Amino acid sequence: MIRKGAEASLYSGHWFEKEVIFKYRIPKKYRIEELDKKIRTERTINEARALIRVKDYGINVPQVFEIDIINSIIIMKYIHGAKLKEILSNIDNNKKQFYFNEIGRIIANLHKNGHIHGDITTSNIIITPEENIFLIDFGLHEYSDTIEDKSVDLHLLKRVLISSHGNDYKYCFDAFLEGYISEYKTIGSNEWKEIIKNIDAIESRGRYIKSEKRI
Amino acid sequence: MKKLCLGIESTAHTFSVGILDFKGNVYSLINDTFIPKEGGLHPALVREHHLNNFMKTINRALLDANISIKDIQLIAFSQSPGLGPVLKIGALVARMLSQLLNIPIVGVNHCIAHIEIGRLMCKIKDPLTLYVSGGNTIVSAFESSRYQIFGETLDLAIGNMIDSFARDAGLQHPGGPKIEKIALTSKQNYIQLPYVVKGMDLSFSGLYTAAKYLIKSEEYNKTYNLADIAYSLQETAFGMLTEVTERALAHTEKKEVLLTGGVAANKRLQSMIEYISKEHDAKFEVVPLKYAGDNGAMIGWTGILRFQAEGGHGISETIIKPKERMDQITIPWRV
Repeated sequence: MIRKGAEASLYSGHWFEKEVIFKYRIPKKYRIEELDKKIRTERTINEARALIRVKDYGINVPQVFEIDIINSIIIMKYIHGAKLKEILSNIDNNKKQFYFNEIGRIIANLHKNGHIHGDITTSNIIITPEENIFLIDFGLHEYSDTIEDKSVDLHLLKRVLISSHGNDYKYCFDAFLEGYISEYKTIGSNEWKEIIKNIDAIESRGRYIKSEKRI
Repeated sequence: MKKLCLGIESTAHTFSVGILDFKGNVYSLINDTFIPKEGGLHPALVREHHLNNFMKTINRALLDANISIKDIQLIAFSQSPGLGPVLKIGALVARMLSQLLNIPIVGVNHCIAHIEIGRLMCKIKDPLTLYVSGGNTIVSAFESSRYQIFGETLDLAIGNMIDSFARDAGLQHPGGPKIEKIALTSKQNYIQLPYVVKGMDLSFSGLYTAAKYLIKSEEYNKTYNLADIAYSLQETAFGMLTEVTERALAHTEKKEVLLTGGVAANKRLQSMIEYISKEHDAKFEVVPLKYAGDNGAMIGWTGILRFQAEGGHGISETIIKPKERMDQITIPWRV
């Protein structure tokens, strides 16, 4: 076993002489079995499908070799590299800008094709030694073309940056948006304007309202 | 003479006064909770209730602690977040006492107070906290000098959702404990309900609507009953809460988990969070019931911490902040 995540355990191994990861969604005994089985099966299928489909848009994701739906296991290519979360504090600002700009392009590429990642965090982005950016963990992936779903996707990244990388947040998120916008501009779409504007709307909803003064 | 602080909690339905010393020993804690005759918490009615009763509560707290008001050396009050009209009562009373007695005053963020009293009572240092109540659903941990929010609800708070459903089912406020009890009588007949997790955030509004329609359906009391809906509602909502808590635990790699807020009293939720804590080798603690719900002791304790770190607030700094987020505030006593 190489890593025990919240949702799945990752094992490394070989599959027809290829170096692979076995992503095993372990049963969660805290949930009732019926609900647990449904969630694990759905997410396994969901993730495998998404990994296969988003490849078509030139997005770097692990290649899927086999899935075992009954046991909720996906066998996929081992991507060597480091999680962005682990290296972020050790790289210079130019590099940060470069990576987040690229990540912005990648996410815009997903969004304009109707894919929502659903869990964009710095733990789900892998930087390879060749400096390629890989997106992983598509368990919460959704197909959607709504502004709302795309905004929530960006909002979640923003939240993770604030909570885990407070000092780098502004810099990184600005670079991200720059890349995101430029990717949308390549297809002449203005959808990004509404998506970004809607992030504020999400924040202002209910418990996200910023401080306000009252006497 | 020991240094004593009087903490006033007034963010929602509970007006509470706690008296404790600067070491964290609680001398008295008196809660006065508004219970609506029908419907939910109307801010104007809650305000009236607190206005009519605050002095009684303060007097009882002083009597319980066996001290005079003149023995108090610090006033702390809930400054944020909460219902505006209700917060104002706490702020008004605190300002009055502070000026009358000529002692310092400190405003406290209610959500931070929930975590601080948990750290004090459970003797833990650096927990990942799941704070679940009628008004809040937050997964938080301390990072870079703040209580950062890793996950939270995108719409309804868990307690609000359960209470609203209970009301639709004809149960009186507060519905949470009643739903918990009824759920136990279900023959574990699980009905599928929307399970919505977005990253580490949650959404309960779809779940609430679906559960509400189950009561109105023609199938109600034929293929399933209220117990089955209550059971399914809890399993789904708590499953979601546990999942995001586990995600945050894996992400932050904290070694302690704290469960607090009014909904922390739910045994089913406790067992689920305890399970994932064990899975990740983290120590699990539930804040003692008396201190898990809204209470004046937690406000007093957090007031003491802030006062010791950076002194009291000027009277112009005691303006209420009904929508202040806990991650906007730096925590000088933990730096």
